[in-house]
Amino acid sequence: MSIDVELQQAATKYKNKQKVKDRFISAIIGVFAIIWVFPIVWTVWTSLRPYKDVRANGVFSIPKTLNLDNYTQAISRMELPLYFWNSAAITIPAVFLTLFFGSLIAFVVSRYSFKWNVSLLLLFTAGNLLPAQLVFIPVFKMYITLGKALGIPRILYDSHWGVVLIHVAFQMGFATFVLSSYMKTVPKEISESAMVDGASVFVHYSKVMLPLLRPALASLGVLMTTWIYNDFFWALVLMSTDSKRPITSALGRLQGEFVTDYNLLAAGATIAALPTLIVFFVLRKQFVSGLTLGSTKG
Amino acid sequence: MSDTEKGISRRSVLKGTAVGGIGLAAGGSLLAGCGDKATGALAYGARSVDAGPTAQNEALIAAYTAKTKNEVKYNATESNAFQNNLSQYLQGTPDDTFEWMAGYRMQFFAEQGLLADLTGVWDAVGDQYSESYKIASTGLDGKQYFVPKSWYPWGLHFRKSMFADLGLNADNVTNWDEYLKMLDGMKKKGLVGFAAGDKGGWEAMGTFDILNARINGYQFHVDLLAGREKWTDAKVTEVFTYWSQLIPYMNPNVLDLEWDGAMQLLLQRKAGSMLMGSWFGGNFKEQSEADYADLSIIPFPEINPEHGRDTIDAPIDGWCVAANGTNNDGGADFLKFAGDMEGVNATLAATDKDGKLIPMTSANSGQDTASYDPFQKEQLAVMAEAKYITQFLDRDTRPDFAGPVVGPAIQSWFKNPKDVAKIQETLQSQWEALPPLA
Amino acid sequence: MSSTAKDISKVSRRRAFSKTDRTTLSAFVGIPLFFHLLLVWIPAVLTILLSFTYWSGISISRIKWAGLANYKNIFFDTPAFWEAVKNNIVWLGWFGLIATPIGILLAYQVDRQIRGHKFYETAYYLPVVLSLAVTGIIWDFLLRPDGFINGLMGRDIDNAFSFFGNYDINIYVILTIASWRHIGYIMLLYLAGLKSVDLALREASSLDGATEWQTFKKVIFPSMKPVNIIVIVITIIESLRAFDIVYIIYGSRGGLPILGTLVFSNIAGEGASMKGAAYAVILFVLSIGPIIAYLRATFKSDVQ
Repeated sequence: MSIDVELQQAATKYKNKQKVKDRFISAIIGVFAIIWVFPIVWTVWTSLRPYKDVRANGVFSIPKTLNLDNYTQAISRMELPLYFWNSAAITIPAVFLTLFFGSLIAFVVSRYSFKWNVSLLLLFTAGNLLPAQLVFIPVFKMYITLGKALGIPRILYDSHWGVVLIHVAFQMGFATFVLSSYMKTVPKEISESAMVDGASVFVHYSKVMLPLLRPALASLGVLMTTWIYNDFFWALVLMSTDSKRPITSALGRLQGEFVTDYNLLAAGATIAALPTLIVFFVLRKQFVSGLTLGSTKG
Repeated sequence: MSDTEKGISRRSVLKGTAVGGIGLAAGGSLLAGCGDKATGALAYGARSVDAGPTAQNEALIAAYTAKTKNEVKYNATESNAFQNNLSQYLQGTPDDTFEWMAGYRMQFFAEQGLLADLTGVWDAVGDQYSESYKIASTGLDGKQYFVPKSWYPWGLHFRKSMFADLGLNADNVTNWDEYLKMLDGMKKKGLVGFAAGDKGGWEAMGTFDILNARINGYQFHVDLLAGREKWTDAKVTEVFTYWSQLIPYMNPNVLDLEWDGAMQLLLQRKAGSMLMGSWFGGNFKEQSEADYADLSIIPFPEINPEHGRDTIDAPIDGWCVAANGTNNDGGADFLKFAGDMEGVNATLAATDKDGKLIPMTSANSGQDTASYDPFQKEQLAVMAEAKYITQFLDRDTRPDFAGPVVGPAIQSWFKNPKDVAKIQETLQSQWEALPPLA
Repeated sequence: MSSTAKDISKVSRRRAFSKTDRTTLSAFVGIPLFFHLLLVWIPAVLTILLSFTYWSGISISRIKWAGLANYKNIFFDTPAFWEAVKNNIVWLGWFGLIATPIGILLAYQVDRQIRGHKFYETAYYLPVVLSLAVTGIIWDFLLRPDGFINGLMGRDIDNAFSFFGNYDINIYVILTIASWRHIGYIMLLYLAGLKSVDLALREASSLDGATEWQTFKKVIFPSMKPVNIIVIVITIIESLRAFDIVYIIYGSRGGLPILGTLVFSNIAGEGASMKGAAYAVILFVLSIGPIIAYLRATFKSDVQ
């Protein structure tokens, strides 16, 4: 009895001590969390103030007016709908193709045994980690050459599809890796019974495995969307028509055009960031699990 | 008019690479027959998204389309992105005509076969341009690949009202000692004397150009950039010695400011003078008409009496036709119009959002200098004094040397001004390590 | 080979693939493989070859053999290269010793559901979803000579404190910005991993009277091996491949030399030369070590 009490006391004492400590830790993390979001808050704040007011009274002045004028201006001057459409035209096909190709390879590698399975996985995963600049000149030359050979110069270069393909080629390494780890957690019996039933490989993939992969595909898709949406390197070097470039390039344009009007620039930056922020808040769960699909192996 | 004519005859223009020139010879507007209806639709590549140039381009294109019924597709890219991507742009699916610069930067791409021969355009409108422009537009093979649009001088800019407040007279700043004295006076009043920025890696090249030309003369400068002189030469050391005398009068955060930051110093009356190309005047005008009216330019002061103030950086902007475009004839036809006084007038008629004219000093001799605003007239005077004209460091030497080598070298000099010897050695050894051209 | 795969292989060995199945399987592997090889591996090999040539990147007939000239130039005549190497090492050290551990500790605290953990998780993760273009603009607002921080310090544009231009500190300024994203990224990676750690394990150890730190070190950290490997590799690869944030703040010319921007400024644009390709190969050689280590760790069970 007494030992019990003692133990309980010790535990309580420990818990109390821990509580104090936790509060302290929470406070420190909290202070930094506020510092962390401050740059974003400041940008949004800046975007709400008219340039004239800031110029006359300084950055730290108490604003006389806060309005959305910078936003309406940025939207009309940046031709935002166009650039958003471009971003969508690149990101959506690229994400779907990446997931599709990744799932094919992952399916074969994890469900059938061929001796080059591991090498294949190695090849794809390593490819994903190569620096993009290493491949840039030859890829560019290939695109141009293909265009000339076919007599359709813009078939890949200066076309959304060219940018889509390079994203797919790079990212499918990661998709393969993640999806194959995930598939290994799918019970073997499912595949066995399918095979015993004499289902074709195609049916096995499309009717049996694909539906099971859905959560993994969703998570991975969210992750890929933010990666591809945020890229600006490939859209810069593989395109020549500015009005075909994605929203990230439009930002550079805004930066060049409004060298002094930071308030307008802030509005543009906020708008450009919105889609990924929305994706993040709406699909946060998928986002988190997408990151770790490959690492925890379920 | 006769004065400027004399000015031209005095000018020597070096043939070959790296030289452009501005002439102001007489020769009224000549309405050459241009604008062939048969050439069809074309695409125009602009290397600026700024409001002023965009309005001018739109006016020019509208006039061309109205005259020829040829549709023009407009493709504008922010200038840094455009330059970083130019090589790919020209190899891929370029617009038929695009904005570019004269001199080495044009010749390099002409030599690679990426630009179309514009001899025909020059046959049609060439008599509206002085000989020096033609030379600046000519490739190594003797053919023209470029049509000039406008020019601007690099000189010392200041605000007239500030000089008045400080009791300074710009006419009294003609040599180095006078200039240093003036800077000293500004410093004592708590001002930045020499506003400088080099975060972009190109801005300070203009200072190097002018110091080298003032101290060692035009010929040495051109030879150095062409590799005929060595960067380790004591003459180059001398340039840095003079340059370091300016450091005490500069803002301390040179590597933090880009050109626009340095301009802010002048705009906000925190700096007394700034060496820059006059093109930034447009930004002053965007701020307010009063700011623009207050802006003034004088030539960089003399250092070595042997060379006086005989050289100036005066880059020429203009257009080329991309060989890989789909309509080379259309591009050339457009440039025939744009290069002709008719096109120039259309460009000059453009107005900004407040309905005001946008200043431009055209390369066409037909532009009536009487129509210049006071700031433009000063630019013209600065220009007229110079005997030799250079483009700008990154237009006058190999592109794989200027950007990746000279830019960072000057930045590292700002970082450690005592390191001159090492920087010179690096420059020379990197020049020698460049791959052979062609 | 994992047990699952082995069992299935037994199944599949029992029957031969039909012709259709063989075609299907070949297509399943062949089509993705084709694109991957064509657009990643073949170009990579070509770039390695090109790094031994002189070429402006334009006309293929003008490629000239250069031997080791590009590499010699880089190693012996380009001080920017060594500065870049130094900066990349500092980058790696900062990420490895500061940013990544902070991210891990943060994940641990957030996972313990301390007060406000939901807000903290969001706050620290927010920067990760922003593109680097936006990140660059946001921090420029804060740190530019006429920006927020200089304003707070009461300094004006003409005597502003130099954040980007002072070469003694600018690498750390950039690293602060980079960490702003990196810490959140690592936190989230780790957080999801922690969710899979057995709760009982943790409670047992805390009842044993182990301190917070001991619990983390002895119980949690070792059980997170797969995530740890990913975190280490991401830290190394990100440090070596760093490019975007520096490019956005400084452009392609100088400023703060790191390997990524040296590749870009020498391979793209007007001044393209195969010196850029050589830089890319150097970067590749440096990253291949961690890549192999990563793959070995990940596929150990498969290779046996």
